[in-house]
Parts: sequence; C-alpha cells; structure tokens
Amino acid sequence: MRELATIRFIGIRMSRDFITMLLLLVVPIILITVFSIILGEVEGHTGTPIRDETVVLLVLGFQLFGGAITMNYVHQDLFAERKDRLLSLPMNTRLYGFTIMLAGIVYSIVLGMILIAYTTIVFDVNWGNFIWALLVITLMSSLSSIVCLVFTFSVKNFKIAERLSEVYGVGMILLAGMFFPMPDNALINTFNDYVNPLMLAYSSIDQVRDGGLSDGFLYAVLLSVIIIIAFGLLLLTGRRRMP
Amino acid sequence: MSLLIDARTLHTKGNLIGMVKRMTIASIKGIVKRYKDQIALDYVDLDIHEGEVLGLLGPNGAGKTTLIQCLMGIIPFDKGAIHLFGEEGAVFNHVNKKKMGLVTQEITVFEELTAKENLEFFAGVYGLKGEEKKQRVKEALEFVGLSSKAKQSPNKFSGGMKRRLNIACALTHRPKLLIMDEPTVGIDPQSRNHILDAVRKLKEQGTTILYTTHYMEEVQSIATRVVIVDQGQVISEGTVDELIKNIQHEEKIFIDVNDVSTIPIERLQGLEGVKQVQVSGSVVQIISNAGAGNLDRALSIVKETSGVVGIQAEKPNLEDVFLTLTGKQLRDGEDDPS
Repeated sequence: MRELATIRFIGIRMSRDFITMLLLLVVPIILITVFSIILGEVEGHTGTPIRDETVVLLVLGFQLFGGAITMNYVHQDLFAERKDRLLSLPMNTRLYGFTIMLAGIVYSIVLGMILIAYTTIVFDVNWGNFIWALLVITLMSSLSSIVCLVFTFSVKNFKIAERLSEVYGVGMILLAGMFFPMPDNALINTFNDYVNPLMLAYSSIDQVRDGGLSDGFLYAVLLSVIIIIAFGLLLLTGRRRMP
Repeated sequence: MSLLIDARTLHTKGNLIGMVKRMTIASIKGIVKRYKDQIALDYVDLDIHEGEVLGLLGPNGAGKTTLIQCLMGIIPFDKGAIHLFGEEGAVFNHVNKKKMGLVTQEITVFEELTAKENLEFFAGVYGLKGEEKKQRVKEALEFVGLSSKAKQSPNKFSGGMKRRLNIACALTHRPKLLIMDEPTVGIDPQSRNHILDAVRKLKEQGTTILYTTHYMEEVQSIATRVVIVDQGQVISEGTVDELIKNIQHEEKIFIDVNDVSTIPIERLQGLEGVKQVQVSGSVVQIISNAGAGNLDRALSIVKETSGVVGIQAEKPNLEDVFLTLTGKQLRDGEDDPS
C-alpha cells in the first residue's frame, strides 16, 4: 500500500500548484465578491436572496472544473514525461493513479470548503445544512475527477481531453441557464432535472435548505447514480489505457 | 616460444574463468520488440555482469531506450527472455524492481516538491521508512552535492543541478543495477564531471551500471565494456581497446619538418607496411598498416635530412569504431561536450 502513502506528496504538489489555485480558488472568490456586492439583498420570486442562489451555483459550478488537476497529474505522471520513471518503480501504477484521483478529490473538496466558509462568513450566504453541502461538494468533486479521467483515457491526444473537460464544465453551466436563460424545451428541462450534475447538486442543497429532506436526498442519489455510471466508464477506459 | 604461447593461453583461460565466475546481473536473450511494422529490437542478446559499467552506444533510434524499457519492465517485448538476478521472466517483479534504479533521459523530478521531498517520495516507494529513509535521503543529497539545496525546489536549480537530483532519485534505495539513460545531455562541463565522478564512485561501491550516451569520451573514460547497437541489433561488444583493435587497420603519422624538399619520400614509401606518403605544407603524412611500428623508422629517416619541428601519431578512437561499424555520425548535430 505504499502507493496510497504517496498521497502526502501528491497533496503537497497540488497545494503548491499556484495556477490551479488561482483558477479554482481566487477566481471564484473574486466572482462571488463581485456578484454578491451587485446583487445585495435582492430577493427572488421564491423569497430566497438571489445572491444565495447565485453564490451556491457558482461554488458548485467551479467544482465541475476541479477534476482538471487530477487529469493533469495522471497525464504527467503516467502518460508523459515521468511515465518511464514511475513505471520503473516497484509499485502498482493503477493504484497510484487511483491515489492521484483521491488526492484531486480531497483537494477540490478543500477548495469547496474554503469557498463555503468565505461565502458564509463574509456574505452570510445560507447553505442550509453544512454537512449536507459538504457531502454534495464531495459528490461533485468526485464526479468531476472521474469524468476528467474518462476523457483522459478515452482520447489519445491530451489537449483534446482537456478541451472535452472544459466543454463538460462550461456545457453544464450553460445548460443550467447560468450564462443566459435556456429555452423552455422538454429535452433541456429533463436533462437539467435528471442528468445535469450542477442542477442536481444545486437542487439537493436547495431542497435540504428549504426543509425538503427527501427531495434533497433523491437529487443526491441521482448524482450518485451518475457517479457510479461514470466510474464504470472509468474502469472500462482505464483498463484499456492505464500502463 | 611454446612456453610463451602456453602462458598466454593460460592467461586468457584465467580471464575467461574470471568472467564466468562474475555473476551475471541481467541476461537478455533474443529479445524482439516490434512497433507495428517497425522492428525496434531484433533478437538482441546482452549480458550485464556484476560490478561493471557497461556503455551502451548507438545513434538515435538504434533501440537503446527500447532496450532499457524492456529491461526495466516498462514495456512488454514480443519474443525472447530476460533473466534478472538469476531469475527468468522476472522483469515485472517488484522484488527485482527494488534492486534496480533508472535515471531517465528527461529530467523527471517533481518541480513542486523540494529536493529532499523528491528523494523522500522515491525512497518511500522503494519501501524505505523512518530513520533509514532519512539517512538514505541525506546520503543521496550529499552524494550528488545538493545537501545545501535540500529545501529548495528544483525549478530554482540549474540544468546540471536538476540532472544531479534526477540521479539522486534513483540512488536512495542503493540499487544493485543502475540504468542511466543519457544522464549528461545538455549540461555544463562541471556538472558533467561531477556526474562522471559519481558514476566512478558508484562503480567503486560495487554498483553495476548500464550507461547509455551519445558522448564517446564519457564511455571511454568510465565504461569497463562497451556494446554498440544499431537498427535494433547488437553489432559489436567488448572493451574499448578490443573494439579499437577490431577496426584498426591503419595509423597515420604526421611529421612537421624544417625543410620538406630534402625529405627522401621514396625511402619512406619503401618502409614495410607504408601505404602512402603525402606532403602538405611543412608536414609529411605517412599512412601505414596498424602495428607496423613505422614511427621510429620514419622519424630516423626524416632526421637524417631535416630538423623535426613536431610529430603526431593518430590512432582510431571509439568514434572511429562507431563510424566504421555503423557508418553514421553519433551526435546528430549536438554540440561537442568538451
């Protein structure tokens, strides 16, 4: 199990990866601050402050991109310049890849926690139940890492895999209507209700916040089912491509 | 005369017995590796003996790195067998991987970790723990002269320092067999000398080393035996002297004289084994069969009629061996390291 022990070093590497930190922590903090100042205390038609909705969606939206660090590290260590060295070591490279995925998930969860703390302390954003919010963040982070790895293993060209991961993140945000309202189309609505992880995660937190525990739980289960399907794909593609 | 022959035979037999007695650390038998239609290794046979520094020479695309990858269990091969530490088919075995170390051609350290953390990572993967790990990390840093930079990140290091750290990462577990794939590419002469000294020290400590390089001066200075590969095949192997002897058909003698017009060219041409005598400026160039011993004779003849300003005898070096055997230039446009 010395592969799992490398998580300490992978964690240190991730924590010193300042570009990723900038993109996944500093940028959302700036956006959240700007939006929170602009939106102020304005309430939506449900009575929930629009700021709360926007901030929660933003934090969850950035979780869609958290898997980028996992795919980068797996690519660098097992498919690019460090491949020969790491393959020459007395360790199971699949387990090492899994360790990178775990580290990436934890890294993304920690960034999510910092954002939750920041929005709660500075802007008094209502996240409902913190433990539940953290669980949903964990699910989103896991899904992002798994999806990004599926892209890494599915296409030979890593640049294309990176673009696909961006399409995944931006696409879900777009379909959730965060950039501009989506047309009232049955297909888009169904996708947002049952497939779009951003909307499932938001709905789960929103329902629990409003006391709808069972609905909140149901959305989390749907998100978990997507994770399980994605993990199945990961096993299939990974078995084929992992060295 | 017969006594002399007997003594020589005995000496050769002694060497042979010595060779057989030395343990073969790695034995590659008839390895074949294909990439689609292209053959990268074509029935390669190679033995690496305990305690030796084996220089692996070959042009780009000769199959050196593929051979190393097969040996380290990084890629599978299509045919043949590799025996490691006396075991067959043990290339992918973690126990044997623990006895081996790989210094990659590219610098493969983690830029986000400090030098010490890099070594701790690799030491941990090799199964070292606690005080032993601390001590080995310290020793490896000292060995490559980076103790004072232990807490610095490699992205602040010079190319040579990065190369040294790259080597140290393969040393913490004290491998029995160290494979170094062009470890001195693109670095300054000081760092190159430091690395070559390190290789000599490792050899003194009993580490067996497989050393690939483009630079023949390095092989000549550190290798106990040389293997030349080209187009996926081993085309020659032996000590540097043996390889040179194999191709040494002629030697060139250059004598710089005061007065060329007085030199008896015909007498020089008449010497046994002399193929050609040419005059270029104040220099008389004599091309003679190797081992004909014409240096003294030619010098005596020249001295009879003219003063000698300078003299130079040119013998083949490893580069000539390589060119003769492969017909290719080794460095592919890279700068000379010296």
